[in-house]
Amino acid sequence: MVDEGLKIELGKQGVFVTTIEELYNWGRRSSIWPMQFGLACCAIEMIATTMARYDLARFGAEVFRPSPRQADMMIISGTVTKKMAPQVVRLYNQMAEPKYVIAMGACAISGGPFKQGYNVLKGIDRYIPVDVHIPGCPPRPEALLQAFITLQKKIDGQHLTGEGRPRFLDAAAQGEFPVPEQGAHDLEPSSNKGVWPLPVVIR
Amino acid sequence: MLGEGILKGLAETAKNFAGSFVSAERMTTVQYPEERIAPVEAARVFPFLVYDGADWEAGMRCVACQICEKECPPKCIYIEKSKDKKPDALGKPQFYPAKFDIDVSVCMSCQICVEVCPFEAIKMDNEFELATDDRFGGLLQDRKQLAKSNEYYHTIHPTEAAEVDARLAAEKTKAAADAAAKAARPPAQAATPAPAQKPAGGGE
Repeated sequence: MVDEGLKIELGKQGVFVTTIEELYNWGRRSSIWPMQFGLACCAIEMIATTMARYDLARFGAEVFRPSPRQADMMIISGTVTKKMAPQVVRLYNQMAEPKYVIAMGACAISGGPFKQGYNVLKGIDRYIPVDVHIPGCPPRPEALLQAFITLQKKIDGQHLTGEGRPRFLDAAAQGEFPVPEQGAHDLEPSSNKGVWPLPVVIR
Repeated sequence: MLGEGILKGLAETAKNFAGSFVSAERMTTVQYPEERIAPVEAARVFPFLVYDGADWEAGMRCVACQICEKECPPKCIYIEKSKDKKPDALGKPQFYPAKFDIDVSVCMSCQICVEVCPFEAIKMDNEFELATDDRFGGLLQDRKQLAKSNEYYHTIHPTEAAEVDARLAAEKTKAAADAAAKAARPPAQAATPAPAQKPAGGGE
């Protein structure tokens, strides 16, 4: 690794030093194309974020792709009903690696106001791994931008080799996420144990 | 005429595009992390607990009456009442929350907790930058994270905070006057059973 101060000093001399990892992560974080897909009212805020005032394009994420094959990121913007959950997981499976998920708003994280209901999924992270959660009902467009910055920081901090390497560079990691099916009473399975380790409640 | 609307829209866009080179007014983008839109005074995101004075634990207005916990529609508040009592702003011994957690991943910013609170203890914050990759630790706020000073409340909602302060001051003088009247009364009358104690400011 190159010392940060030395790098700046060399930059002043006209010598640019970088590592493959940095270059690779810079490329990944600067071109996160979201999938054009919205579920409920948070999607309206997501649309507002792409418009001129907030301008998501400043973060390299202006190209909303209508196909999961061309998208890098999924913004779960809104209530995931149990009817919609299998489709969301299927769309996620169809996305090419590297792929990221932002759970936007209370409903996407935990079910929010519909948490006690029978027909809303209590958080999409029961089925797919979520990178960034944005609380709010709905979050402001700036909050989505801040989540973007958080995600970019997270990508920047990833090492390409070793223990904590991203999923798509790890041959042993889980690549396909099982799509739940409508059972008699609930979705089956009710959660993916691989991504949703039940937390221990300490009170 | 067919396509007239589209032409009008394109003309508007072209005007803004060309105008943005000469006039700053036509530049609509707010460069978010560096500059931000000033929040509207009534803007609200998540609740916080108000405290008076310098010490958040001693000055906490909340008396753990648990009304907000019961009224919260998505049930995102969890309160544990303390075993002992501590004096509140009026000097009356009161319970305090031993635990006060708000799960912001569930909160729907409806402000019902604020409306039902008889002690002006819970108010709405306008802090929205809470995105995190930590599902459980990052989104559950405990009473220390929730406690914010009255001065902070004045900076985010000045008009509302001034009203609240005036109301609390009026209650305080009324309570002081009542206590003085009670002390002045002959002891025989004072010995009669007192009416059930009402919480301060409960009669809204």
